[in-house]
Amino acid sequence: MLSLGGGGAKSSKPSFVSYITPEEIKSEKEPPKKERHPNLLPGEVVFCSADPILKHTQDDVSQRGIFGTLLCTNFRVSFVSDETPLEETGSNLGDLISLQMLFCFVVYDEKRKMITGGMLKNKYPSKMIIHCKDLRVFQFCLTFTKEEDARKIFHGIAHHCLEPKSLKCVFAFSYAVSRSPEMQRSQRTVMFDSKEDWAQEMKRTKGNCRIVTENEGFKLSTRLPKYFIIPSSVTDEDLFKFQGKGLPIWCWSHHSGCALFKASTLPVPQEDGVIQRYMERMLDAAAQTHLYSLKIEDLSETLPTVQDIQQSYAKFKQFFLIDNSTDFWVSDVKWFSSVENTGWMDIIRKCLQKAVEVVECLEKENTNILIMEEEGTDLCCVISSLVQIMLDPHYRTLTGFQGLVQKEWVAGCHAFLDRCNHLCQKDKESPSPIFLLFLECVWQLVQQHSPAFQFSETYLTVLSDSVHVPVFSTFLFNSAYQRESTLKAESQHPQRGPLNCPAVWDWSVQFDCKAQELFLNPLYADKLKQDKVLRKVPRPKHQRQLSLPSSAFKTPPKKGFFKDETESLKKMLRVKRISRWMASPDSPAANTREFYEAWQRRPLDHHGLLLPWLDGPAVRLWMQRYLRWIPEVQILGGGPVAVTNKMAELLVQVQELRKKLDLKGCWQPEAERVQLQPRPLALARNSLRLSSAFPFASSRNWTFKPVIPTSLLQSLMLTDKLASQEDETTEVISLV
Amino acid sequence: MLTGSKTTFKVRQMPDIKERIMNQSGLHARGRDMFGLCCLPGECVLQRAVLVRKKLSPKEGGGWLSGTLFCTHFRVAFVPQDSPRPDDNADPVLLGDHDVALASIEKVVAVGPLRTKLVTPSSSLKFTPEELILYCRDLRVLCFLFDRLTPDTQAVEITYTIAKTYHPLKPGTILSFQNAALGSIEMKQFLSNRRRDSGMNWFESSGDWEQELERTGATGWRVSSVNDRFEMSTSLSRFNVVPQKVLDTELKKTFAHFNEGRIPRWVWRHPHGSDLLRMASFQNNIYHEKDDIRNLELILFGGQSQCIVVDLGDEMPSPADLQLAHTRLRTLCLGDISSSVSVPDDKWLSSLEGTHWLDYIRCCLRKAAEVACLLRRGHLTVVLQEPEDRDMNCVVSSLVQVMCDQHCRTVAGFQALVQKEWVVAGHRFLSRINYHRDSDKEEAPIFLLFLDCVWQLWAQFPARFQLTEDFLLALHDSLHLPLFSTFLANCQRERCRRSQNLPQSYTPVNGLRELPRGSVEEPVDPPYPPVWDWALQYSTQRRALFTQPVCQPSTPAPVLNGNFNTNLGPNWISDGVPGSVFLLSRSLFSCPSNLLPWRSGGGSVSYRKSHRRAPSSESLPALERLIKACGQPDPLQDIHDPHQPLIPLLLGPCVRIWRNCYLRGALHAQAFTHPMSSNARHPVERLASEVEHLRERLAQASVGRPPNRKRHEHRRLDSNLNQNTNNGTFLFSSSSSSSSSSSSSSSSSSSSSSRASQQESPSRFSARPPAAARYRDGGGKHTFLFGHQGEPQSSQRYAPCPGAKLPKNSGPSGAKTH
Repeated sequence: MLSLGGGGAKSSKPSFVSYITPEEIKSEKEPPKKERHPNLLPGEVVFCSADPILKHTQDDVSQRGIFGTLLCTNFRVSFVSDETPLEETGSNLGDLISLQMLFCFVVYDEKRKMITGGMLKNKYPSKMIIHCKDLRVFQFCLTFTKEEDARKIFHGIAHHCLEPKSLKCVFAFSYAVSRSPEMQRSQRTVMFDSKEDWAQEMKRTKGNCRIVTENEGFKLSTRLPKYFIIPSSVTDEDLFKFQGKGLPIWCWSHHSGCALFKASTLPVPQEDGVIQRYMERMLDAAAQTHLYSLKIEDLSETLPTVQDIQQSYAKFKQFFLIDNSTDFWVSDVKWFSSVENTGWMDIIRKCLQKAVEVVECLEKENTNILIMEEEGTDLCCVISSLVQIMLDPHYRTLTGFQGLVQKEWVAGCHAFLDRCNHLCQKDKESPSPIFLLFLECVWQLVQQHSPAFQFSETYLTVLSDSVHVPVFSTFLFNSAYQRESTLKAESQHPQRGPLNCPAVWDWSVQFDCKAQELFLNPLYADKLKQDKVLRKVPRPKHQRQLSLPSSAFKTPPKKGFFKDETESLKKMLRVKRISRWMASPDSPAANTREFYEAWQRRPLDHHGLLLPWLDGPAVRLWMQRYLRWIPEVQILGGGPVAVTNKMAELLVQVQELRKKLDLKGCWQPEAERVQLQPRPLALARNSLRLSSAFPFASSRNWTFKPVIPTSLLQSLMLTDKLASQEDETTEVISLV
Repeated sequence: MLTGSKTTFKVRQMPDIKERIMNQSGLHARGRDMFGLCCLPGECVLQRAVLVRKKLSPKEGGGWLSGTLFCTHFRVAFVPQDSPRPDDNADPVLLGDHDVALASIEKVVAVGPLRTKLVTPSSSLKFTPEELILYCRDLRVLCFLFDRLTPDTQAVEITYTIAKTYHPLKPGTILSFQNAALGSIEMKQFLSNRRRDSGMNWFESSGDWEQELERTGATGWRVSSVNDRFEMSTSLSRFNVVPQKVLDTELKKTFAHFNEGRIPRWVWRHPHGSDLLRMASFQNNIYHEKDDIRNLELILFGGQSQCIVVDLGDEMPSPADLQLAHTRLRTLCLGDISSSVSVPDDKWLSSLEGTHWLDYIRCCLRKAAEVACLLRRGHLTVVLQEPEDRDMNCVVSSLVQVMCDQHCRTVAGFQALVQKEWVVAGHRFLSRINYHRDSDKEEAPIFLLFLDCVWQLWAQFPARFQLTEDFLLALHDSLHLPLFSTFLANCQRERCRRSQNLPQSYTPVNGLRELPRGSVEEPVDPPYPPVWDWALQYSTQRRALFTQPVCQPSTPAPVLNGNFNTNLGPNWISDGVPGSVFLLSRSLFSCPSNLLPWRSGGGSVSYRKSHRRAPSSESLPALERLIKACGQPDPLQDIHDPHQPLIPLLLGPCVRIWRNCYLRGALHAQAFTHPMSSNARHPVERLASEVEHLRERLAQASVGRPPNRKRHEHRRLDSNLNQNTNNGTFLFSSSSSSSSSSSSSSSSSSSSSSRASQQESPSRFSARPPAAARYRDGGGKHTFLFGHQGEPQSSQRYAPCPGAKLPKNSGPSGAKTH
């Protein structure tokens, strides 16, 4: 019951449970037959509705469904069922389709057509299939509706979801205008929209650069935030030279004093050398902070382009937009190779690898790093954020992570509006899930080092969904300038300041407290002070590392067999493995390997450096995000939920026992021990039927359908044709 | 024996030859040389190299460990320096934590300054190796590094010695290996004096089977000893469970109708009242007598009205498929030394898919899940049928029980399960593992497939298992060690014959001599221990990791008649046509007319008359109901239902590769893994241990506090450290003042229930070692991390922590730490 608008106070049930299943959809009261409405949000207006509509459950054989009313508002497409018992109240953002459709297919006479804006036919569609950006699939059957109603709703949906529109039509504005003004944004997340925030951040990381305030009125550049930080030796004159292009913008300082900068590339150098000289000065300035060394990393050369990423993701997500289970089992047969062919996993690996390289420079070589990209707002954001997560435990806490997104993405002017294509504009360059890519990379890290992160995988999934909810100022604009100007222009009371759009970090807008507890990782290992001292164990240094060239360890010529690498060596497996590391010129990969080995020799510190595993089997599929809506995959009491559930039980027991010991006086609470509540898991414990898709899809009337497959029914119907059928599809259709 | 085998090694004459054979005398059996190697009785050290470093796997904590490398007749042993002096009175352990048996070694590779060479028994080295890499059959890769101060001769000689003594692919060598390990008089004596684990069911006597009947609450069945002398079927066990109504004399006639005489036998009863049977395919389709048919029907149906034959013949992977898949998987995971193409990371997944190993796992799990769901319906017999009943029937039948029966998820229960469904049931371990290299065509990793399937279940439901991944790994590795009676025979008859020396009159005509033995005079086999005698292989500390405390809901005692399945209408039972048979094949039900051969053509004419049953047409309504019932939600079903089967997710990304098994040797995987993070046990296991530990402390605190106040202090400190070193994963406040009222109220109920189950647990998990032993692991980590010893040593990771309650003899290293 993502209680938008209600402030989350009203609803009491665990939240996202109600997303998908029609059985769960509840309307507020039993209204007179005509007026079935979901709880409308402030500022939400119903455009059109149609009734009765048959909504199919995702069962390809039975074609069953439920009847109800389909509504199209300025915010969402909503389906209100006729049949559900009305026990719960509370507005239900759960069944919204939220105008975030990817495609709308319409079935005319068994043929399916993709509908894009502007090409509406007057023909009467029989079925409507909606694919959402969060990978849900809805099927509505329009044959029971009056023809004009059907056409109206269909046109309405197509118009509002798929036609290009202006920014002002985005629901956030009507929502924010009519929202009660007492709501304020989240307190704890650093928003990086004031000078103090930046100063604080610089103090925290002990950076010594200067804060630029000249862009307060966006006179310097509209593609830069109001405040940002540059090396202190950049002169004011240089500052204004190229509208902020090429300026090394400070991201983060390593404790050794070296820093990470990002920059957009300048136009092609001219004859006169003005740009070269300017650039040299910039690089000098950046290098000055620490030991006068600087490495430049041009991301556009080594990483896939934004278009590549977009194409790869478009292919990738097709595997999860399942209309019927038959398709699903067909795709399952060649699962690994098809996922691999999309290249999405490889892009994730490359990003992580690049981030590791940057981390290596900062951590091991202690050089300053300048990452560059054409605009400096796409892959720069990905890499710099990843680097900071790997190096700085602060960003692995919930608020820290939110601050990081604010710093690098929101204040860093990532073009959310264009990249997410909120306005459905076709002439703009294709939407590209750069932010999603970042979340994917973070998910891999969370997966591999879960005790190091305060937030859970559920948090990341929810965040990736929220990008498409056009309510939050966080993801609605291309730059700080656009944000400020638009909010000011749309304000109803200009004298009272700009429009107050909620930030996505104000989770109470979407979820109630109990649901928000699922965002936390119950096994997060918080910092321990005594630990720090004790961890400094002098580990024996080994004179020589296995078969690897090492500059750090002076190897005697006799022993360093790799120096004279011969052909015969390559035949051997181990050399082959290593040669993979050494493949590229001046072997950066070999260095990376060495860096990994140095890291492995240190004891694991969840508050120190984290490095991702990058080998083939280690980069995994984000199952929670991609598979949560597919009923065939859900299983009662199975998967990670079962583990979480068990851990909840055990955590509670541990606490109980500690309490008892405490009473007996032989357990002393320690001050530095961090409080950790197993409450979020207590929530999980309370729901009886947890499916593996918890907390997203509640378990339906669970049958063992995946086990005794649907083909059983077919076999019943076709008993006489058994022989022929056996040879054909059954293997494919069968089951989980 | 010892001297004889020694001469076969053509050890190059080196100046230090005397030193090499320093420990050969059998008199000096229990002795240890100055470097701390604790030899087995009769074990003979062939070569030694000092100042060697061993690369520790991430699982062991990573890094390097320096010590001394030995090669004996039996193993390559590595003794870390500063390792505690072993207790002379302790029972011999075949392999130390860092050792590898010669028989498990597959390839020996020497890395020199300029080149790398695969060392074979016949090859000669032209350089001084700096590294020695041993590729093992169980997918481990051991890497030893010689120091510059290691004498060159030692480095060369030990490489040679290992290369010449490891178990090459030659028939016959296995026997000398077995003799080296177990052949000495002391060892034989020691082994014969060992007592069997009485906590598990061995399924070797009729009482064992009766116990199982009682445990599952099966009625209407009896244990028949008609095959007591393996006269009826050579591959079946001596005791088989058949319906009570069938007399032994009647039973004898049925054997001829089945392949190898493997008649339908009861193996398990589901708590809902269905029976699981397994059988081989039909043979000899001549049915003369009505009685004959009546008995066959009786055996097949037990007391139930419906029978579903699950055909595993054609849709399951064949042994050859499995062998190919496993070979490919090995190549992918380990890397093939001979090929020079490596799999790039971005092609890894499709290469994995190309091995089809995961497909076969899915196939088995799926079949087992189907059967498990069928059984839930109650009141039917499910008969697994496979042409030979010795491969896939074992896999599916035991998987079904792991899914449905929580007893089978404990160590004792799992061992009993393997005894029942594999060892006693006659899985051809010897041919399938191909220890003797004489059955290459038969070789197939069927048992490994089963272990992997169980691992998949464990990975998806770790909280429902008492056994842990470590246990599965231990079993996986033991399979590659040809020392255990469990795996050294193809059927129970062979095993019995060896141990009891049955008179020759009972051996079949075609004889049993498949062991090609080199020597003319037949040596007496050493007594092989069962694999379940884990103390022979693993130290107490390692064994403590095999189990985790599980707080399971208490099981209701099995009811005499099974529970009525209430979700079926009452007319289901009365109305059902008695004796309807269906075939489940390729996930489809059908009733082909030739399913039961006596019902179709030939001799069944009279039969059909007398029973007025037309097989297919009349049973269709029953089939319809069956299908409906399978699709129906079960109102009784609850997450806390202990009988709820573990139905695994079998989707592409859900079935994963067993990383800790297949990838533990792969260098490219190790390159990224942080040893400490992969070393960590599953959080559920750690939390469960923590609960156990706190309980213990609570009990201690409530019993007698004042006298050992000091000890409490000590323990607290210890446990704090312990949590830190456990990667800080379950660090949270003891002062849970702010713990919410809701959680505390719910938790109090849960803790009381779990306490109840805990009281029950000692009896149920009697095989579980005491918690103190398990806890030692954590305490040991503390010594490891804080490094009082200077050098990280994985042997010390298992050292006891001083505060914990310890058995007397476990102490030297623990005492040292404080």
